[in-house]
Amino acid sequence: MLHLLQIDLKKLTSYRTFWVVCGLYFFTLGTTTASGMEFLKWLVSMGASFGTEINITRIPFYHFPDVWQNITFVSGFFKAILAFMVVISITNEFTYRTVRQNIIDGLSRYQFILSKVLTNILLSAMSMMMVFIIALITGFIYSPSVEMADLVMDLEFFAAYFLEVFAFLSFALLLGVIIQRSGLTIVVLVLSQMIEAIIRANVDDYVPWLIPYFPMESISNLVPMPFPRYVFQEIQDYVSITSVVIAGAWTFIFNYLAYLKLKRSDI
Amino acid sequence: MKAVLQIENLTKNFGRLRAVNNMNLEVGAGQVFGMLGPNGSGKTTTLGMLMSVVNPSSGSFKWFGEEATHETRKKIGAVLEHPIFYPYLSGQKNLELTAMIKGASSEQITEVLQLVELSDRKHDKYKTYSLGMKQRLAIASALLNDPQVLILDEPTNGLDPMGIAEIRELIKKIASDGRTIILASHLLDEVQKVCTHFAVLKKGNMVYSGPVEDVSKGSETVEVNAEGDIWEVLNTFDGVSSVNRENGFYEVKLKDGIKSKDLNKFLFEQGVTASHLVTKKRSLEKQFLEILAESK
Repeated sequence: MLHLLQIDLKKLTSYRTFWVVCGLYFFTLGTTTASGMEFLKWLVSMGASFGTEINITRIPFYHFPDVWQNITFVSGFFKAILAFMVVISITNEFTYRTVRQNIIDGLSRYQFILSKVLTNILLSAMSMMMVFIIALITGFIYSPSVEMADLVMDLEFFAAYFLEVFAFLSFALLLGVIIQRSGLTIVVLVLSQMIEAIIRANVDDYVPWLIPYFPMESISNLVPMPFPRYVFQEIQDYVSITSVVIAGAWTFIFNYLAYLKLKRSDI
Repeated sequence: MKAVLQIENLTKNFGRLRAVNNMNLEVGAGQVFGMLGPNGSGKTTTLGMLMSVVNPSSGSFKWFGEEATHETRKKIGAVLEHPIFYPYLSGQKNLELTAMIKGASSEQITEVLQLVELSDRKHDKYKTYSLGMKQRLAIASALLNDPQVLILDEPTNGLDPMGIAEIRELIKKIASDGRTIILASHLLDEVQKVCTHFAVLKKGNMVYSGPVEDVSKGSETVEVNAEGDIWEVLNTFDGVSSVNRENGFYEVKLKDGIKSKDLNKFLFEQGVTASHLVTKKRSLEKQFLEILAESK
């Protein structure tokens, strides 16, 4: 297993695009999630010039344990950039035909897909670690008092966040294996979000219970939107087991279909 | 002799097109096996199936007497069609990657790079290589892990005469180590020089297979000339099957078992002294074209 991961990382670590995309991803992810408070202060200063005084900075965005769900939710938007990198990595193998040579040299098709899946797991884990560290640091800076009970509360959002990223990267891998061209795959990846939203909107009128089973919907249900709680609305402030099971099942299906497609095709 | 490769009823359909039809073949250990055939005759498809990148429609094959898995492929070095590498990686890094997949040691990389004379350029990116260098790197990569079988598909395609000569020398060098080589090529001259056995493919059918030395067996053709008209004299010889006049010479096709010295003796007895007498060696090219023509 480790050997397969090493093989795939060897392909990527000498590839400049990989470093640029991953660098940009972790940079924007880090700065965006860490600078929420500065953004709010800026909003207040803008508001102040209109004569209204809102004490928006008192909203406990970065307080433990709120910070866990808040930051994992916002970070979820950036997974698309990581998915583009996965698309580039897999479609390169088809455009250079190196997948063919890899098989000739002695990888099985299963091992080839597994090497890509392992990289996806590594990327998802790194993203989760990064988000955890940022949340931890900002939490310590902004929380008025740090209680151990608050600190260890709601940590399951990181497991949910990991699954959210990994599920989406698995979807990107599947599209890459099917379409094999990077540009087209990225377009389809972006459009698939909208297409599913349209289908969901229509299905909602007839079979509303089906909605949570849609793949993209199930992925975004893992970490529910936390912000309405600041305007005194009820939110789901926990990870639902049903969402995890549904998204987990989709992740398995994506990866299995990618393997099946590669197994059946002449390359 | 131990069979390295056994093919049984191998067939591949691409939609309605039958690219390889019911192929049966055996390649023994130590053979240098030439696969001949015009473009589109199914050579690359066959080799693709043998390396498991093309799924056969039916039939089976065995490497080293066992069912083929990815582990058996590690013992085979293969370059199909054209060299395939990561363009953004250096030659060295590309070979490191292949070595990781095959489970070969890193010392071997230095060895094979020296063998194909690419050591000076090993740190340059693959995309900066000339076609000849790419072909040589592909052969180097195929030689990693000390393979028992080497499969080369048109290894001299698109090379200049110097590059072709280099590759030919390389193949001879490798063949002299006693390795089994399967060589698909258009260059019949090449195959005749290097190969011990050959097969001819046409539109997916294997129309001939046998040792190369058989090519020069069979009836002999002799080119003769002498002063005066010897047409009549030649036709009276029992051992003659046909006589043609070509390029100012008489081309005499002899019956099986009759040698050129028999003809010479006969002419001498008839009082004719030949001023020119050459036994023509049959070329593989001629045989190849004959086989293709016969199989219509």
